[in-house]
Amino acid sequence: MGKHHDVAVVGVGLSKHVSKRRDVNMPELVWEAVSACYEDAGLKPKDVDAFATGNMPAFEGVNLPEEWGAGHWGAYGKPVLRITTGGTTGGSVAHGGYYLVASGLYDTVMAIAFEKQSDGNQTFGLNTVALADAAAQFKMGVDPGFIAAFGGGAVGVAVYQASSYMKSSGCTTHHLDMVSALCRNNAALNPYSHLKQPGLTPEQVAETTLLQYPIRFGHVCPSTDGACAMLFTTPEKAKKLTDKPAYVLSVSSCSDEAALVGIAGSGTTNVDPCEQESCKIAAARAYELAGIKDPRNEFDLAEPYAPFAHQMLMFYERLLLCDEGEAPSILDSGSMNLDGELPVCPSGGVISTNAIGASAMERIAECAVQIMGKGGERQVNKEVHKAVAHGWGGAVNLNVVAVLADTPRG
Amino acid sequence: MEYKEVTTSIDGAWNFSKWEWKFESIALIGRTFEAMKEHKLLGNKCPDCGTVYFLPKPFCRCLGMPDEFVEVKDTGTITTYTVTGAWGYEGITEEEGAQGEPLIFAGVQFDGADTKVVCVVEDVEPEKVGVGMRVKLKWPDKLEGAITDLSRCTPL
Repeated sequence: MGKHHDVAVVGVGLSKHVSKRRDVNMPELVWEAVSACYEDAGLKPKDVDAFATGNMPAFEGVNLPEEWGAGHWGAYGKPVLRITTGGTTGGSVAHGGYYLVASGLYDTVMAIAFEKQSDGNQTFGLNTVALADAAAQFKMGVDPGFIAAFGGGAVGVAVYQASSYMKSSGCTTHHLDMVSALCRNNAALNPYSHLKQPGLTPEQVAETTLLQYPIRFGHVCPSTDGACAMLFTTPEKAKKLTDKPAYVLSVSSCSDEAALVGIAGSGTTNVDPCEQESCKIAAARAYELAGIKDPRNEFDLAEPYAPFAHQMLMFYERLLLCDEGEAPSILDSGSMNLDGELPVCPSGGVISTNAIGASAMERIAECAVQIMGKGGERQVNKEVHKAVAHGWGGAVNLNVVAVLADTPRG
Repeated sequence: MEYKEVTTSIDGAWNFSKWEWKFESIALIGRTFEAMKEHKLLGNKCPDCGTVYFLPKPFCRCLGMPDEFVEVKDTGTITTYTVTGAWGYEGITEEEGAQGEPLIFAGVQFDGADTKVVCVVEDVEPEKVGVGMRVKLKWPDKLEGAITDLSRCTPL
């Protein structure tokens, strides 16, 4: 299907991820990931033909980050494509890098995504995103106090999604606690993760502060400084660089309406916030492009984008990996564990590490790392032939899906 | 260089409610607000897939364009909810930062509509609220023909 070229991943680089990187500035933070990526692939800046990059400038309050490209990425005289799509930024940037190679326009492309949230105020950044909605609601006569009480920031979006998902799937608060424990324990094995909590139990998660029903402090991602870089190239060049590259078989994105609860006015939705139809559409399209006929049995690993605990289960279902409402019982069975049948979020997931602009790329990067067998302590206990990576964001309306494998489509 | 304590600000009001919108939702909702003065809830229906939007919308997700106004009932079902009070702009402590009494915010699907609106549910303990609970709109004594007329529900 299609005339696009196959694309290989030959390098992945990650910076150290913590909440406040006071020892480096933004370009230096990005350089950590970029230099690690060059080293991983065995390539130098002169080998790269083009760059794709992105972050969410609203969160740092620093605009035009690509101006450091030449000095800190090795992009002198090279084309640079900048992409910004909110929470999905990293996924979209990786898709951009993929398209540059798949189109045949460039051979070797570096994709870079990052966020240094401690430089700015992400609540303020989120408010600028919400402004478009809020402005229309003020026009309709909504009291600003009503909007504030409705629930601000990202948690205010997630709680309605969680309540609705829990009712439709039978997911209990104990399942949310289990997801947090699973992810944070995986994160403890990942040197690039932020919140490492080895031995964390669901019971300990259940004791954390209730933020807004049903989400507790332990169910929520941290705010992270971090960067991620990936090198894409043609299968021919990849074979010269490494014995075991990963291949991107397909990418797909799908836009839906912003999924709050349904104050119409500026385009906010009337649909159920846990429905995520666009994730199902994006997944189905990506699987078709990749030649995946039976997603439930063909994948060895999944990296859904889950900054909130319920989302790991919800997106597992929306990625068509099981029936709707089945994910909580699959979690109970242990299948999602690092040594399970279909490990989920071996990296520790977004719930453990969320440098927002980088997060969706880090899902794709983790799939590539696991396929290449470079996962170290967190390497899953099986051969990874096919993996699916996901991102969720935009104005909470965009879903991006990528399918990776150890062999090209052919 | 002279150091200033505050950044430069420009005088003038930035009043969102005075913004004029070309976006058709506002015009459609204006029609609904007018009808609400007569205790009627008007949504609109997509001619292609039959989805009834309340509040009305200019575009359907099937890419049809809802063109017919239909009445929906003032009774409905809770589809999702949360309880506020633990969340404050300044932080996440349970006591400090909480703004007054806890409020129950719910997504309510009114009978006859396929979509949801946000309402505060009153006259019920937070522990007793749940998805699937039946509620009825609390019409205010004095109708304003605004979204605030639609903001409170009570268990049926």
